[in-house]
Amino acid sequence: MNDKLDRQTLQKHLAQLPLTHPERRAAVVPLMQSLQAERGHLDDRGVEEVAQVTGLSTTEVEELATFYSLIYRHPAGRHVLRVCDSLCCSLQGADRLLQAAEQYSGVSLGKISPDGAFSILPSICLGLCDQAPAALLDGEAVGPLNEAALQVLLRRLQEVD
Amino acid sequence: MEAVLTRHIEANAPLDLEAYRSVGGYRSLDAAFARKPEEIIEIVEAANLRGRGGAGFSCGLKWRLRDADAPRPRYLVCNIDESEPGTFKDRYLLYGGPHQIIEAVIVSAYALQAEKAVIFVRGEYGKGGHGLHRAIKEAEMAGLVGSNICGSGFDLQMEVHISGGRYICGEETAMLNAIEGLRPNPRHKMPRPSVKGLWQHPTTTNNVETLVNVPHILLNGADWFRALGINSGCGPKLFCVSGMVHQPGLFELPCGTPARELIFEHAGGLAEGRTLLGFIPGGASTAFLLPEHLDVPMDFDPVAKAGSRLGTASIIVLDDTTCPVQVTLNLMRFFARESCGFCTPCRDGIPYLAQILATIASGEGRAEDLVLLEELSGIIALQSFCAFAPGAMIPLISSLQCFHDHYESHIDTGCCPFDAVNKSGA
Repeated sequence: MNDKLDRQTLQKHLAQLPLTHPERRAAVVPLMQSLQAERGHLDDRGVEEVAQVTGLSTTEVEELATFYSLIYRHPAGRHVLRVCDSLCCSLQGADRLLQAAEQYSGVSLGKISPDGAFSILPSICLGLCDQAPAALLDGEAVGPLNEAALQVLLRRLQEVD
Repeated sequence: MEAVLTRHIEANAPLDLEAYRSVGGYRSLDAAFARKPEEIIEIVEAANLRGRGGAGFSCGLKWRLRDADAPRPRYLVCNIDESEPGTFKDRYLLYGGPHQIIEAVIVSAYALQAEKAVIFVRGEYGKGGHGLHRAIKEAEMAGLVGSNICGSGFDLQMEVHISGGRYICGEETAMLNAIEGLRPNPRHKMPRPSVKGLWQHPTTTNNVETLVNVPHILLNGADWFRALGINSGCGPKLFCVSGMVHQPGLFELPCGTPARELIFEHAGGLAEGRTLLGFIPGGASTAFLLPEHLDVPMDFDPVAKAGSRLGTASIIVLDDTTCPVQVTLNLMRFFARESCGFCTPCRDGIPYLAQILATIASGEGRAEDLVLLEELSGIIALQSFCAFAPGAMIPLISSLQCFHDHYESHIDTGCCPFDAVNKSGA
């Protein structure tokens, strides 16, 4: 846990600091996002690195990492499907869709498929109520979904990898 | 009404700088720089542009509340953290027209004489946020953002903050904490952000839909803007309609358009044989309205008079196959999950309400539970730190009033009547 960042990595991270802000800690969210994009999740080393660059303690970084729903402190699948379970999607069958996703894939919500290809997460309103029931696949909108479309989508994820 | 805000919105291929300029984009910069900042605030105030993020506060007045001689640096924060269930209007603006947002932020920052602008984008709209970032870089290269914009002597730095994702970050002061790298709890009401906001500097926060109206007001005048609305409303308005309708979608129409027209004409009405149970007019934290309210103009004051709020002007339609207890339970679970956890009444109270509602929804509730829900909702709304919990209590209290019979029948019959109906109907 004590390994210091090498100069090059530190420079790369510093280059992402928002220039308009007077304090380094403003970079904490962009840094967590950038490390997660590289590694699939924010690992323990990442928490240390973010703390070093921003001047925050690891506890403070941990507090933020666990507060934000889009920062993963545990490994996730290579593809992440976030299925909306808020009102408009729920009215259009999101609850059944989430059940079907678990049944079809055999993977519980929040877990990783055995081949590491995907994770399925329930999500609050994604702002896709006009495409309900909707989901975000690696940040891209998909919807309206039904059980058949969901099966095709999950199968494709496994094949692509 | 001819589209104003969505006229050049291209969802899959937003206009780049050159294309946006070729359709008249960035023309409002000349109109702005030719005026004194104070004059722009006067025009916006005369236009009666009211905040489109939900509160409906006068934009001009909000700008005036930040002293003209406030110490520097001053910040303008543009809010694109839309996460209110039922609301997706800002997504269209972000993904479909980043340069329209940049233009709006420039002229608004000029009116406020703010030299730093942060555009806060919800994490789920990250791809749109990256597109906006690229568009800002394009605008910087063209001299539209940065030092001495178009030779005006006005300097503006602009950046995008993509959120780590939580509903509470859309609250004005939680957003400031999020940008500063602090835990995004809402701050104390005083001092106001206009005095001590981002990094303790004077800060003005506006929803993105509010701001994108400003260039059009500058180019066409306050009278033109006011005349675009109907039934006392002013200007164009982005309406979202979703839920149990044929064609959910975003509709740009005169502010003041009645709910009936939105639901039955633009969104295609309900499925055949269904009747309207009610609707939520302005996103998840607004009170339910009933079929008798269909002709209420969707504008701030008329919707308030009808007992609800225009909020984000996002209508969620419920039909007679929808169980209002389940709907309310879904909303309470949303709020329970999204509570920031800072104060106890909200953190512990809302999950408790959701638990009681779940008991009633499943048919295992007792008559005392309804009394408990009423009592607790009042206590939680009064005792919590910020506006989140009171907002969460609004649909609950309203649901208990509007759909009281449904709650009673769940308790009396020991089951959800809609389960039986939907199963036999399906």
